Amino acid sequence: MPNLNINGRNMSVEAANDTPLLWVIREQLQMTGTKFGCGAGLCGACTIHVNGEAVRSCQTPVSEAVGKKITTIEGLSPKSDHPLQKAWIIEQVPQCGYCQSGQIMQAASLLSKNSNPTKEEVVAHMDGNLCRCMTYSRIQKAILRAAADMRTASSAGTERRPT
Amino acid sequence: MNTHVKKIAQEKLDREPADLSRRSFLVGTAAAGLALGYSAVPGLLGADQALAAPAKFDPSVWYSIGPDGLVTVTCGKADMGQHIASTMAQIVSEELGSSWKDMRVQLASNDPKFNDPVLGAQITGGSWSTMMNFDAMSRAGAAGRIALTQAAATIMGVPAGELVVRDSTVSHPKSKKSMSFADIVKSGKITRTFTPDELKAIKLKTPDQYTMVGVSVPQLDIPPKSNGTAKYGIDVNVPGMVYGAVVTPPVRFGATVKSVDDSAAKKVPGFIKAVTLDDKTGSTTGWVVAVANTYANAKKAAGALKIAYDNGPNAKLSSESLLDEAKRLQKLDDSGQFFVKDGDTAAAFGTAAKVLEAEYTTSINIHAPLEPMNATAEFKGDILNIYSGNQFATRSGAIAAGAAGIDPKYVVMHQMWLGGGFGRRLDADMMVPAVQAAKAVGKPVKVIYSRENDMTMDYSRPLTFQKVKAGLDGDGKLIALNHDVVSAWPTQRWGIPDFLSPSVDKKGPLDAFTVNGADFFYSVPNHNVRAIKNEMAHNATPSGQLRSVAPGWTFWAVESMIDELAHAAGKDPAEYRISLLDGKGKNDGGAQRLRSTLLAAMGMAGYGTVKLPKGEGMGVACVSSQERATASWTACVAHVAVSPSGEVKVKKLTVATDVGMQVHPDNIRAQVEGAALWGLSLAMYEKATLKDGGIEQTNFDSYTPLRMSQVPEVAVNVIANGEKPTGVGEPAVTVIAPALGNAIFNACGARIRALPITAEAVKANMKA
Repeated sequence: MPNLNINGRNMSVEAANDTPLLWVIREQLQMTGTKFGCGAGLCGACTIHVNGEAVRSCQTPVSEAVGKKITTIEGLSPKSDHPLQKAWIIEQVPQCGYCQSGQIMQAASLLSKNSNPTKEEVVAHMDGNLCRCMTYSRIQKAILRAAADMRTASSAGTERRPT
Repeated sequence: MNTHVKKIAQEKLDREPADLSRRSFLVGTAAAGLALGYSAVPGLLGADQALAAPAKFDPSVWYSIGPDGLVTVTCGKADMGQHIASTMAQIVSEELGSSWKDMRVQLASNDPKFNDPVLGAQITGGSWSTMMNFDAMSRAGAAGRIALTQAAATIMGVPAGELVVRDSTVSHPKSKKSMSFADIVKSGKITRTFTPDELKAIKLKTPDQYTMVGVSVPQLDIPPKSNGTAKYGIDVNVPGMVYGAVVTPPVRFGATVKSVDDSAAKKVPGFIKAVTLDDKTGSTTGWVVAVANTYANAKKAAGALKIAYDNGPNAKLSSESLLDEAKRLQKLDDSGQFFVKDGDTAAAFGTAAKVLEAEYTTSINIHAPLEPMNATAEFKGDILNIYSGNQFATRSGAIAAGAAGIDPKYVVMHQMWLGGGFGRRLDADMMVPAVQAAKAVGKPVKVIYSRENDMTMDYSRPLTFQKVKAGLDGDGKLIALNHDVVSAWPTQRWGIPDFLSPSVDKKGPLDAFTVNGADFFYSVPNHNVRAIKNEMAHNATPSGQLRSVAPGWTFWAVESMIDELAHAAGKDPAEYRISLLDGKGKNDGGAQRLRSTLLAAMGMAGYGTVKLPKGEGMGVACVSSQERATASWTACVAHVAVSPSGEVKVKKLTVATDVGMQVHPDNIRAQVEGAALWGLSLAMYEKATLKDGGIEQTNFDSYTPLRMSQVPEVAVNVIANGEKPTGVGEPAVTVIAPALGNAIFNACGARIRALPITAEAVKANMKA
């Protein structure tokens, strides 16, 4: 009976060691924001973070996640106001929306390491995430917007303004 | 979720059998017993007004206004990312006078009262929704405004004509009195009802009075799609539910199960049962569902089943055999039926100075929406509840009933957000395993296709073969065109006569969803279009409607051939098109709009004015929509660079589209861009093949839709000229492939006639 730390909470789940983390999250924990798309690590719809790294939960056995910090779209930001989520709304990114949890989680792992990515770096980081509605250009715009917002927020927080 | 709808559907089912007849929405309201202002019944719940408070004002089946002032619009269309629910709310809001922040949406059940007011069924496709619902939603909104205003006038003691409605508030400027919609609903003084004739007589706003239509309001479904809370069919959780994984046979269609050995599956923990489908609806052949307590266990059990098949009559067929059969059929003089027969092409060819013939093909293509097909079935009393995102609730409910062996009136379809549709969810095959598994195990079952099931059992875009023969007179003018289209017939498969069209030569109905677009807006005095059914392909690869349907292949042939003719006549291909769009006869109006749209795209792209380096070229194409009557006018200039090895780099796609009226400009741009990229993906990156009766591509490693790194610059120009609003989700899909093919020709002299375009084909066809 594996114990998981997911979105900051410890939860025990009942699953065989080789069960893909995706199904444990979706069915047992009833967090359905993480999506099933291909079951083969080819589309990115199931992307979550394990210790801050973006991983495909359909390819991650539950046993591998034990003792690690798991974050899903539900845990990315307590009020759904991560800069990426805000940018997703401002840029009106989603169409069907099915891939977007995975897109946001994949993008978040980029911005946590690189707050000023070039367009090329965004494309390279996001190319494993399919969007069948082809919202790619809006995804790109939203990531660059969120990065800019994060830089502004962090400089506003650390710089002392002259009085 | 959808509780309001569920209750109504249930009540309605209790009272009367579902019928699919067309009825106007207020008649529907009356039938459901939702009289206007029922919240006002005094003493409804004794003296306790607090309990009576939640009563609502339901001006039509399409929306209700709560005592909190929230306006909840029920969307009868499937929302697969085109934001149609939000669009319906926007149209209602315009006439109702509500504030956008008060608008909410919910998705309709399959109750016939939510049928499309024009189509008389619940079906979403064809880029029809906005066009066909704009008037009904506008009138629904206006009726609500009138009823609210009259109630407010009574309460305030002022003439209704002096009241102003704005931002969910009715105000009387003279006395400075005002009431919110919430106050009016709570007052219970709304008494006004409308007959269908009264509704028809309402004077709607003119476009110059619009304050909501034409504004890019925030889409109501986007916040829940940005935080994981939007619920799709795959997310449904019904108490006591178990899971089904599908095992599909090696052939696409025609297999039967000879035996199932579940001895190994029985060792999988949580395994419940292997259910062999007995599908009398004809949706599936040779399918088995492994049912278990979790989906992971169901998958394991499915993998452990040993199934012996008879692979049936199609087991030796391949893409090549389907294409060979198509060519054989096309050569026969008596195959097919005529969709267009204008003038006398045979005579005209006799007088032609030049005759060109060419063959165009497209491959099998797979919808592959990112949410794999799924459905949850739950038998509850007499009712079969189905939870699934579906584009054709009217038919899918009947298929579910057929799979269960019950009357369709006992099926309640609970609509969900669709994780992509693109026409795939017009079909109902997923109902069958869910229903029969639920019946077999006596519990609700959620069936989820694996990606491999989803790809190999897609109701795909059919393989097509088209032969075009064209005759030019001495001046290079197009005087005769024979166009034969050979394909599986996706719509005939549904078995609904209303979806078929009479043939011009009276040889029985034909499937116009295989030839639409071939009845273009160019003036050609002698013009034949023949629809030929490829029975072999129809049986081996049951086909479906894929985003834009027939125009996805007919315009590939037509717009490539028009280019070939222009070059043969020594004319610029864009100018050649403009001369054919003369607006004569039946083409009056449409041809002129298409001409203007083409000119707009040319201007935006710098066609004919920009000097391009060697190896680069621009190509044009212009198209209408699925039907002449539902046309959006769309043109593209594609700019490509072709390397000596035949590699094509798409530098820019410039798309102009005339949509009549923009309800939501930003959404139109999103749809047109998505459609254009779909067109690019189909033109260059997506190909499925049949071998030994089975689809060879199983996942996104072998079937490869466009990814972010392959996105070129896309420029979109939307023309809104005040005509009625038209659809935007599809036309831009169809214009890209021919524009690319024509650009490639201009870049390197290689004429490509097969989709998808490959570097090998480009290289092989280059002029030495």
